[in-house]
Amino acid sequence: MSDVTSKSATATEIAGAVMSGKAKASAVIDAALKRIAAAEPTVNAFTDVVAERARKRAAEIDAGRHIGPLMGVPFAVKNLFDIEGLPTRAGSKINNDGPIAKRDGALVRKLEAAGAILVGGLNMGEYAYDFTGENAHYGPSRNPHDPTRMTGGSSGGSGAAVAAGEVPIALGSDTNGSIRVPSSLCGLFGLKPTYGRLSRAGSFPFVDAFDHLGPLARSTEDLALSFDAMQGWDPDDPVCTDRPAEPTLPSLIEGIGGLKIAIAGDYFAKGGEPECFEAVATVAKALNATKTVVLPQAAAARSAAYVITAIEGAQLHLPRLRTRAKDFDPDTRERFMAGALLPGAWYVKAQRFRRHYRANVLKLFEDVDVILAPATPCTAPKLGQVMMKLGGVDLPVRANLGLYTQPISFIGLPVVAVPTRSAGGMPIGVQVIAKPYNEQAALRVAYHLQKQGVCVSAPA
Amino acid sequence: MADEKPDIARWVDEGAKAIGLPIAPEYRANVIVNVERSLMIAAPLLAVELDDELTPGPVFKP
Repeated sequence: MSDVTSKSATATEIAGAVMSGKAKASAVIDAALKRIAAAEPTVNAFTDVVAERARKRAAEIDAGRHIGPLMGVPFAVKNLFDIEGLPTRAGSKINNDGPIAKRDGALVRKLEAAGAILVGGLNMGEYAYDFTGENAHYGPSRNPHDPTRMTGGSSGGSGAAVAAGEVPIALGSDTNGSIRVPSSLCGLFGLKPTYGRLSRAGSFPFVDAFDHLGPLARSTEDLALSFDAMQGWDPDDPVCTDRPAEPTLPSLIEGIGGLKIAIAGDYFAKGGEPECFEAVATVAKALNATKTVVLPQAAAARSAAYVITAIEGAQLHLPRLRTRAKDFDPDTRERFMAGALLPGAWYVKAQRFRRHYRANVLKLFEDVDVILAPATPCTAPKLGQVMMKLGGVDLPVRANLGLYTQPISFIGLPVVAVPTRSAGGMPIGVQVIAKPYNEQAALRVAYHLQKQGVCVSAPA
Repeated sequence: MADEKPDIARWVDEGAKAIGLPIAPEYRANVIVNVERSLMIAAPLLAVELDDELTPGPVFKP
């Protein structure tokens, strides 16, 4: 067990120590704030640190208030989550002008109700239209494993803060891959739950059809612990499911017996660098998975996800594009403008195709419980890199880091991204994909891989 | 003339005018590049044939 004030301490270890009286929440928070101050010049993960609020909350916990399964655990959130008293930046300069959030976002409230302590807001790609973690206004988040490289995005600060050991848990959002891409490039476990499973109330939207929120952490237990604390219906998010919460933490120890695991072939077995397929092979071998399944029309699914994203995102930002174009990040501005000019017929076709694709993919889950696929087509590119070679072809970095994540979030399947190490030493992740509302199966597989030492996450 | 290459620059100029989106000259070239890229990425979707009965998934609950 780690010293709970060290950067390698997990949320599970911290909560256990604080609950049993072996550690003070105040000491945990002071240590986290010191680590943040020390690491920020290198990783640039935080845009806002709420030190005073965190110390006050820690003192209350040490005085016997806010008892819960995450007692004393420091966490931070992508800055599209509302934090009371701050503008919800969503990575932009424009939103920084206001309004000021009147209360915390729903998931921040849920984690704090379980005893966790918010320490700040995290850097992200502007308005979440990003796979790189770069940001013209606030600077790029930098990969703690090699600060000359990208964290991936758009939850780049979330990836950097956890991988640097500043906090054990961060929340991110994932529309097309924005939790899974930084988890892969920063060597973390990341959970993108089923679409609608967790409330999005009190977070700045991007693409309502695909927006998901979820945790990034360095252990599977921490994903399950935080996910369980955040589940539950919320009338403030019309998409949020009214299914009862299904706790996942108790099931981790059930192992993988009885789970049928397959590897995604065809689209997911080409178009990437060798290291992404090696990562899948390593994980598949550890799980004795040999069967291959084909997600039919995955290329069209990625295409449809792109169209829906471009058009919904542009529609959301059209008023700002008209009046404040110069205040956008140059890397999002012209993409949003182009999205505003795409035909509505494309959008409706993409939504119709979504239903068709969903039905075909769900058929696969009649025979398997879990499907493995690469998380990213490569390890972290260099900061500022515009083009990359994938499978021998030069392609734009920005559009292609999410090549393998987009066809999965398109139909809202739950995924745990699990970390592996490439031969070159940089991390690269694998997607462990389950059928809707079966987060438990993906987490059990991730836990098994962690226990086997195949997927391990340590702070840089 | 379904296979005639669309005039993207005109698409951008006229489309922006139609929806009241001013595009400053310094942004125009990159907007054109992005619409071209969108056409390329959308192609696999546009090539799919769907049955008339297939309606979108989202359900609006009044």
